[in-house]
Amino acid sequence: MIIFEIARNNLLASRRRTLFLGTALFGVTLLFVLLLSLTAGVTDNLIRGATAVSSGHVNIAGYYKSSPTDSQALVTNVDTLKAEARQALPDAVVVIDRLRGWGKIIADRGSVQTGINGIAFDDEADLFSMLTLAPAKDYRENPANPEETRGNFADLQKPNTILLFAGQAKLLKAEVGDSVTLRTETLKGATNTADVTVVAIARDLGLLSGFASFVPKQAVIDLYQFKPGVSGVVQIYLKDIKRSTAAMNELRAHLAKKGYAQLEHDAQPFFIKLLQTVPGEDWTGAKLDVTTWEDEGAFLVQIINGLKAVSLALVMLLAFVIVVGISNTMTIAVRERTREIGTLRAIGMNRSSILMLFLLEAAILGIVASGAGGLAGAGIAAAINAAAIRVDVDAMRIVLLSDTLHLVPRVVDVVIAVAVLTFVSAAAAFFPALRAARITPVTAMQSAE
Amino acid sequence: MSAIIEVQGVIKDYPLGKLSVRALHGVDLTIARGEFTAIAGPSGSGKTTLLNLIGCVDVPTEGTVVFDGAVTSKLSDRELTRLRLEKLGFIFQSFNLVAVLSVFQNVELPLLLQGGIGNDERKKRVVDILDRVGIGKYIGHRPNELSGGQRQRVAIARALVTRPKLVLADEPTANLDSVTGGQILGLMKELNQQQGVTFLFSTHDHRVMELAGRIVQVQDGRVVDDGKQGKTPTSASAAAPTPAAH
Ligand SMILES: Nc1ncnc2c1ncn2[C@@H]1O[C@H](COP(=O)(O)OP(=O)(O)O)[C@@H](O)[C@H]1O
Ligand SMILES: [Mg+2]
Repeated sequence: MIIFEIARNNLLASRRRTLFLGTALFGVTLLFVLLLSLTAGVTDNLIRGATAVSSGHVNIAGYYKSSPTDSQALVTNVDTLKAEARQALPDAVVVIDRLRGWGKIIADRGSVQTGINGIAFDDEADLFSMLTLAPAKDYRENPANPEETRGNFADLQKPNTILLFAGQAKLLKAEVGDSVTLRTETLKGATNTADVTVVAIARDLGLLSGFASFVPKQAVIDLYQFKPGVSGVVQIYLKDIKRSTAAMNELRAHLAKKGYAQLEHDAQPFFIKLLQTVPGEDWTGAKLDVTTWEDEGAFLVQIINGLKAVSLALVMLLAFVIVVGISNTMTIAVRERTREIGTLRAIGMNRSSILMLFLLEAAILGIVASGAGGLAGAGIAAAINAAAIRVDVDAMRIVLLSDTLHLVPRVVDVVIAVAVLTFVSAAAAFFPALRAARITPVTAMQSAE
Repeated sequence: MSAIIEVQGVIKDYPLGKLSVRALHGVDLTIARGEFTAIAGPSGSGKTTLLNLIGCVDVPTEGTVVFDGAVTSKLSDRELTRLRLEKLGFIFQSFNLVAVLSVFQNVELPLLLQGGIGNDERKKRVVDILDRVGIGKYIGHRPNELSGGQRQRVAIARALVTRPKLVLADEPTANLDSVTGGQILGLMKELNQQQGVTFLFSTHDHRVMELAGRIVQVQDGRVVDDGKQGKTPTSASAAAPTPAAH
């Protein structure tokens, strides 16, 4: 196509201009892809983290209210519930239960609020494959050996032990081997305490780990003086996580048929329900609540939306600068090439072809420069990810849901970024191109001066 | 055979701020097929304006221009464009080649715009016409690698490659030295005689006028002599020669 050839050759002819705009497009696309990769990485952290630390793919939680203002996270006859889950969901691969509590960890030199998960070590292979022991520098000031890790997850099999995350250990100024006190309130409002030994400190998972600690089941049973058969939540892992929502609905229907009272579905994490929703409801007794991992992670999705919004705002700002640049440059080019355009019109080229000529010029620039930028961005994202760069700023860890930069470059994101910037580039050329299309062929006849 | 061009009572006004400038004051002119006609006149006399109207790049304010049977003021922009593409060839004072295309591509361009010609046929026509104008050796060059005379030869090839009914040339030699200008006009004349293409060109150069079969004299937007009585006598030294005003 000759128009394509003219457009391409004009780009090559004004090399300085092309290089300048091309570099800008390259840079913005690169940044765009990096931000998208980061968002994908955090999403990945969220999915992997949420389904290991705080949720199954599908959960059966329970709430108990002895008075209308009361709220306690528990289910009774947990073994029966597990059997119901197995029966309702043949594709369930793993079905476990955890006890849930809420209280304070008190150490010699500090205290923190935390959720307390009572677990059976042997049931939690997924959890411990997600967690890594934190190096000393993550929670101690000026450690002699910053990379040293202490403790052992398997010690959670011993009674009266606790697993903390680095962020908590830092606030508590606690160390593996220290004894800390757990303090909770029982159903009747009495406080109960238990002394536990810190056996492991795990690396932070940002917001996911901010309010989580793990103790053996018996520790929670003792704290709340639960009767046998009581637990906090049944966590169900499916063959395919994508079936979570469908599975939740099937399980809800199954439990309803079996006569269990249930809360209405509400996409909120359990602690919001425990601390806000359920205490405000006017009923007493026990109700079950079936949720998906997405419900439990809904508040974390805000982080991802925030990341997306920031990326979008940044890219839009830079894209605006590019629009101004391209549109100015094209206006100059149209002015410089007035006679040439007039000539093309005189010898029989249509207005629409002239329009196309300039749009094409911007689009070629856009696709080449942003294509290169997109590939470079994906490459850099992969390199950063491979380098497993550690993040030392706590605020960033919270948002990243990890203490390590995790970027996932995806083909679809590169395609989106390149498409968006190519479009932006062509769109920026629209008004100058329109101006070019309006140039009259008379111009061709006018003498040089 | 009917005339290729009939200009009847044409007035052309150009807007100039709130006023307007009258560039043509009622022009009548008929050009027959196969003619080799010069429009002569001093700078500012309205030569370019007249050629624009005949070349369908502009339409008259009043009066009619009939090109090959079509009244140009009744056609849309799209139709005028099609008409120029199919039936007209243009040669410009400043050559006006597309800088970023090769000589070959410049000449191929109108054929590509026309479409409907097979690849081989198109290539052959381009090569043939470039050979004919003596530029066969420079097929792959860019215009800026050629001299003025060579560029104008390429422009002639571009104008002729579509086998138009009329070729318009607005001061085709004004940017060339006199020897080269003479050669270019000689080439145009040859093509007129061998291929029967109708040429209409403007000039204010007397030596160039010599070659014309007919000279239409324009002054202050009026045709003062339409050259129908035969060749304007060379004794036209009476008509004061206008110094080249470029
Ligand atoms: N686009 C225009 N706007 C205003 N006046 C014009 C324009 N083009 C030509 N003119 C005027 O019309 C007259 C004829 O110009 P032109 O046709 O270019 O003469 P020539 O080609 O013989 O030198 C001149 O007075 C010129 O100033
Ligand atoms: Mg002129």
